[in-house]
Amino acid sequence: MQPSKFPTIISITEDELDLDVLLASVTLASTGAAAVFSGIVRGKTRRGDKHKTQYLEYEAYQPMAEAKMKQIANEIRSRWPSVEGIGIVQRIGRLYPKTPTVLIVCSAAHRDTGVFEAARYGIDRLKEIVPIWKKEVGPDGEFWVEGEYKPAPGE
Amino acid sequence: MNEVTIYFFATLRDYVGAKSLQMQLPGEATIGDLKKILIASHPRLSPARDSIMAAINREYAGDEQVIPLHAEIAFFPPVSGG
Repeated sequence: MQPSKFPTIISITEDELDLDVLLASVTLASTGAAAVFSGIVRGKTRRGDKHKTQYLEYEAYQPMAEAKMKQIANEIRSRWPSVEGIGIVQRIGRLYPKTPTVLIVCSAAHRDTGVFEAARYGIDRLKEIVPIWKKEVGPDGEFWVEGEYKPAPGE
Repeated sequence: MNEVTIYFFATLRDYVGAKSLQMQLPGEATIGDLKKILIASHPRLSPARDSIMAAINREYAGDEQVIPLHAEIAFFPPVSGG
């Protein structure tokens, strides 16, 4: 795939996420819209297995995770050619309730050209193929959260 | 023989008790062969065997894939980032 002329920001960091900086880095003179998704550590879970969370501990297989995040950006560009800038940033380490854990930003000239769907695709796909895991620690102990999706070879 | 580096993450790291291992493998060994070897030496991996994901040189790999020379292998559970 040809490198895009538009910015692609991929990062895995232990630092606090800065939405303003990320948004600025995917904003161009031609940009009129940006869709932002942020995942946040939920302290109280009511859906399904009701429980409280003290904190989440994230870890990544960093080189593969970065490669897969770049792959997701390429997949977004091939599905939504109108998307200009793409930012995918995952925070790792120990994260407490109310803390943003991940940011997905897709920018475009106009809001009706797929930016919402592109950001949605970005987070859904991250949860399928990017090798990052979280351990949940709560009053009843700790356990590794496991996803359900099993990527095919080469996916 | 083929010397490879194997990384483990999340539950699998806990089961193996190490972040990484160096191993000597026969030339034609596949991911499936390596899983069998590891399960034999680390029986705690056994209940997880059907959900162990594998990567060769940072790309998802199936059981039938032959491990190339000096590969970087990783084993981990289905991902849960975000």
